[in-house]
Amino acid sequence: MIDAYAMKIASLVGAACCMGVGAIGPAYGVGYASSRGCNAIARQPEAEGQVIKTMLIGQAVTESPSIFALLVAFILLFNAPAVIGLAPLCALIGAGICMGAGAFGPGVGAGFANAEACEGVGRNPDSETVLLRTMLIGQAVSQSTSIYALVIALMLIYVV
Amino acid sequence: MSNKKKVFLVIGIIFTVEFIISLFGEYDMSQIAAPFAKIHTVFGVKIPFNGINISTVLNTWLIMAVVIAGSYFFTRRLTPIPGRLQAIAETYVSAFDTLCTEVLGKKRGRKFLPFVATLFIFVLLSNWVGVIPSFWHVVDGVFPHWLAIEEPTRDLNTTLGFGIMCFFVAHISGIYVRGFKGYVAEYFVTMPYDKGFNGGNIGKFIFNMFMGLLNIVGEIGKTISHSFRLFGNILGGAIIMVVICNLIRFIVLPVFLNGFFGLFVGAVQAFVFTMLALVYVSVMVNE
Repeated sequence: MIDAYAMKIASLVGAACCMGVGAIGPAYGVGYASSRGCNAIARQPEAEGQVIKTMLIGQAVTESPSIFALLVAFILLFNAPAVIGLAPLCALIGAGICMGAGAFGPGVGAGFANAEACEGVGRNPDSETVLLRTMLIGQAVSQSTSIYALVIALMLIYVV
Repeated sequence: MSNKKKVFLVIGIIFTVEFIISLFGEYDMSQIAAPFAKIHTVFGVKIPFNGINISTVLNTWLIMAVVIAGSYFFTRRLTPIPGRLQAIAETYVSAFDTLCTEVLGKKRGRKFLPFVATLFIFVLLSNWVGVIPSFWHVVDGVFPHWLAIEEPTRDLNTTLGFGIMCFFVAHISGIYVRGFKGYVAEYFVTMPYDKGFNGGNIGKFIFNMFMGLLNIVGEIGKTISHSFRLFGNILGGAIIMVVICNLIRFIVLPVFLNGFFGLFVGAVQAFVFTMLALVYVSVMVNE
């Protein structure tokens, strides 16, 4: 009953869950950051360049959970599963759900950090370098959970 | 012709060539998640740990050669009034000197400056080397796979190696600064003990052992997230570029994709990786 075709279906469902759900969190985070960036520029128009720089660098990091989701989705789409059976089939769907849901929280959290950094630069443009560094470290640590999701998703695809 | 025009001309020629070649071949999409090209034996001797990823090793050597040659040529004739190359080297070193002394203090910052600055330049060039076009992904099977110029950091072996190296640097310097007893107490004495033997101390001992196990798991998780962050971002960017470039046949868009995923994300991730290494060291070293 479980053949290569069923495995292909499982991969497709997994890829869809992964990228569809995984896009929500980072999108919310990036949007929130840019809204706070606009707010900061409205308060202090001279600091526009610095705020935009902070915002863009932070958004590049905020997006990385969605890049992980895209990575897992592409692997699911194009990878031909080696073993056919019920457990690998569930593992493919599970990998998609794991990475998709795992990208949600870190994306939102990193976006909050980015937003507050933009706000801070708008309030005090002199402290831009320190804020940028603190923001990058904080975002990187807050993304650890999405990286654990990536590790488990890759293990589900390749090891099971 | 101005310099700007020359740069655009070179980029144009490269992508025209890729476009023309791509008309004759197609990349096998199921290969994007395929394992790396490996060698399993050298002169009939079997290599342990399941072979060597030959492309990763060759690209790492390429970057090592670039870094070594660069540091030789940039600092060859040092003068009080710096020339162009010397000015670049001085800016780079002084930027990292400021960073290290801010985080670690004057004395220790200087000690960790070579480690941090070298880590950054190596990871940065590793992330950027994928921008150089190599044609293996365009015509599958014509060029040997191991000749491809691709990021060494898209291989987990490289990033995990860096992560483990940072782990050992941080912990050994922690032992060096605090002494072995203080280092162990950092993990296993969350709640300080009272004097003498009583019931409260037994409860604290059980609590401390539990917290110590959690701390150890946390340290392992730190190393895993440190190395998988770089790996996931670079591999993700590389796969996105290969897939999209094959869908649109290398028309115009690859330049911008390379600019974003290659240069921008590569630089940000290299900086994040280096900063985290520095912060892990400072957590262990600073009182």
